[in-house]
Amino acid sequence: MSSQSLRPRLCMLATALALTLSCAVFADEQLEQLSHDPNQWVMPAGSYTAQRYSALDQITADNVKNLHVAWTMSTGSLRGHEGQPLVVGDTLYVESSYPNHVYAVSLKDPGRILWSFTPEQNKFAPSVACCDVVNRGVAYGDGMIFANALDGTLNALDAKTGKVVWSVKNTDPMLGQTQTAAPLIIKDKVITGVSGAEYGVHGYITANDIKTGKQLWRAYSTGPDDQLMFNPDKTIDGATGKPVGKDSSLKSWQGDQWKLGGGTTWGWYTYDPKLNLLYYGTGNPGTWNPTQRPGDNKYSMSVIARDPDTGVAKWVFQMTPHDGWDYDGVNENILTDTKIDGRTIPTLTHFDRNGFAYVWDRSSGKLLAAHKFDPIVNWASGIDMKTGRPVVNPAMMTKEGLNVKGICPSSQGSKDEQPAAYDPASGLFIVSTNHVCMDYQAFDVKYKAGFPFVGALVNMYPYNHGNVGGRFIAFDPVTGNTKWAVNDRFQDWSGVLTTKGGVAFYGTLTGWFRAVDLKTGKVLWQFKCPSGIIGNPMTYTHDGKQYVAVLSGVGGWAAIGLSNNLNKATDGLGAVGATASLGDYTNLGGVLMVFALD
Amino acid sequence: MKYTTAAVLLCVTGVLVCTAAVLPAAHAAPSAGGTLKVCSDPDYLPYSNRAGKGFENDIAQYVAGKLGDTVDYVWADSRGHGGFDEFLARNLDSGRCDVVMNMPYGGQEELTTDSYYVSSYVFVSKKAKGYDLSSLSSPDLRKLKIGFESDTPVEEGLQLRGMVTTAKPYDVGGDSGTSPRSVLEDVENGTIDVMITWQPAIGAYLKDFPDLTTATLPNTRATGSPEMYSFPMSMAVRKDDLALKTRLDAVIKANGPQLQAILRKHGVQMAGEGTTIDDSAGL
Repeated sequence: MSSQSLRPRLCMLATALALTLSCAVFADEQLEQLSHDPNQWVMPAGSYTAQRYSALDQITADNVKNLHVAWTMSTGSLRGHEGQPLVVGDTLYVESSYPNHVYAVSLKDPGRILWSFTPEQNKFAPSVACCDVVNRGVAYGDGMIFANALDGTLNALDAKTGKVVWSVKNTDPMLGQTQTAAPLIIKDKVITGVSGAEYGVHGYITANDIKTGKQLWRAYSTGPDDQLMFNPDKTIDGATGKPVGKDSSLKSWQGDQWKLGGGTTWGWYTYDPKLNLLYYGTGNPGTWNPTQRPGDNKYSMSVIARDPDTGVAKWVFQMTPHDGWDYDGVNENILTDTKIDGRTIPTLTHFDRNGFAYVWDRSSGKLLAAHKFDPIVNWASGIDMKTGRPVVNPAMMTKEGLNVKGICPSSQGSKDEQPAAYDPASGLFIVSTNHVCMDYQAFDVKYKAGFPFVGALVNMYPYNHGNVGGRFIAFDPVTGNTKWAVNDRFQDWSGVLTTKGGVAFYGTLTGWFRAVDLKTGKVLWQFKCPSGIIGNPMTYTHDGKQYVAVLSGVGGWAAIGLSNNLNKATDGLGAVGATASLGDYTNLGGVLMVFALD
Repeated sequence: MKYTTAAVLLCVTGVLVCTAAVLPAAHAAPSAGGTLKVCSDPDYLPYSNRAGKGFENDIAQYVAGKLGDTVDYVWADSRGHGGFDEFLARNLDSGRCDVVMNMPYGGQEELTTDSYYVSSYVFVSKKAKGYDLSSLSSPDLRKLKIGFESDTPVEEGLQLRGMVTTAKPYDVGGDSGTSPRSVLEDVENGTIDVMITWQPAIGAYLKDFPDLTTATLPNTRATGSPEMYSFPMSMAVRKDDLALKTRLDAVIKANGPQLQAILRKHGVQMAGEGTTIDDSAGL
């Protein structure tokens, strides 16, 4: 089906609507309609559900072996590329890692740059950016492209010309705050978060007006109820089913520590238009050392559902109270309808860093299932379904001064931000996971005269010091069953794309871009890209032909967690097989790869 | 005793007289002001010295002024035998002095005030060399002779990356005889290609080395290990001295920009700021 014929019809319909509705609502309805068109990819996660599933089936499990490179483009940046491009009509939009170049690329003349934009930004943002200076993509809405710069500047650009329509600052690098997430457009609002929990950032999520950039509301993750935008009598704690009550966050911190509470919001945002709820997760508490912050530390490590019009929270669920392992809760919350005990319930499925796959009733936050999605997870034996709390293994609790060995998963979690995808045909989730454990020693903040010091020393290694550092799996979150798994040497850090054609796409840290049979897990095709892949594959059509695109660019992670000289030189730990360094397999890069059949 | 008897007699003879006798005493306490007993190193520039040339001295003077107190220094070597821990035990915890002007926020050994500035560990190298140094994972770094301050997060970061055995450790913070200036001299004379150290330790000296440049180390979890190189800094008092902490917090809250201006005058670079060097402190 040609995308050309569909658009004028949509345009006419939209115009008719515009006569009766306000511009902003028009923008949202048009955007939501567009997200159902499989020929385009108009939202970072494909759609509000973040299923990352495409109904395109030109490429199938049978013919994908004939996939070849159709065209490529350098992004001009060598840092980590964690996002995905958008396709709106005949134009592809992509944002690079810092310095955050934004490109509008013609699909009619592939690789022809229609316009490009590099934001002016505080050049010290990279200095305070934690985990590589990545970017997770632009957003589109109301004829504009919305691009976050690392220093927190949010630029609204005219989609046709690239000219700046408005510009606001949502984070302050001076305070250690940066911005790596992709924005989400909901009706007349642009939703963005903040990064930088590692020191002193009081995490929050912000809504800006789509037309002017004016800040409409900002809700914090820790602190007093008014800053949280929690209603003590109405906001529900999904774990108990009861209202959170007054000062629920403050009561879970000692003294003023909530001010450095962390709970940053740098992951993926999803939305249910029917329930009118925005879903997102919060990250780790401010200090890494749990001994310094007794209490549950709410609402770090939590999923929060908010009314995007008012910002007020409807429900909240904390996955990892009093975190001792850095299991950020920012991973995506995927909207599906799930059959549980004979009933079909609208759910959120969330593969948390902590190794458990949570399934919630997305209207109430009620926990329906929580199974380990990697059997090696050992910091907790399970999640108590009555209280929602992990049953922590006391031997794996990190403590000041103590070196706790063999905690699984490592701080990178069983899955980091790399987004999973859903296969409606099987009801399974396809997930890129990490299969890595750690020895973790937590320290206090100390002072050598004139020199401050704090650290949590973490040694990470593939499970059992073996050869499998990552697993690409098909998983049933209701039963906890893994249907198939592809084992990889290093962590699987790319996002996933599933298609009606029966194929799942993902990339390895060494740079292999793969097509996998959704039914069996068999690798059907692969191509070695210039650099490791931590971006998310997407698919679109142009002139009736299906393309699959992914960003290749592992960025500054040449030593990602598997540094083989860790302590061997100093304390003579015997080597248990050589743990190869990622630097032996790949290098920095920044290329958009686009594939198609002949 | 004698005074009391006299007071009683005066009171007996007339309320007015009593009041007169009492009033001057009531005024006396606030107008005299108190002393702020500051634990300080007599010979550790750029932090502090007996001549008051360090930035901790200027901060102490300013803060005391705002409190209505005068500074009374208690001098002790913070880098000697037993290091800073012993300095704290012998001076602050013993009650000889009441406040330390510069300690990382959130430490558990003493009670810290709110933070009044944030700074970072930095790479120091020759501008002309044009090294691309944005983090410990920068590939350029592996080719260079690295100097680092021992027992700091930098040492661990180098350990994590298998780079510590070929790097040169310095112990400015543990050796009373060593000036932080000496590490800059070692970059200048080529003993090392890059020094990785806490910026406030060397900020005051950078104007003397115009061909050196600094680049901030980012906090990172790139290796999985949370590596923190930026620190909010505070003052510190004894754990049970909430009263003084409260007074100091009020000064910090009301005078943040002024405190940071004092630091900047001494060449301290705060998180997110550029490398413009201010030498108006005249060190």
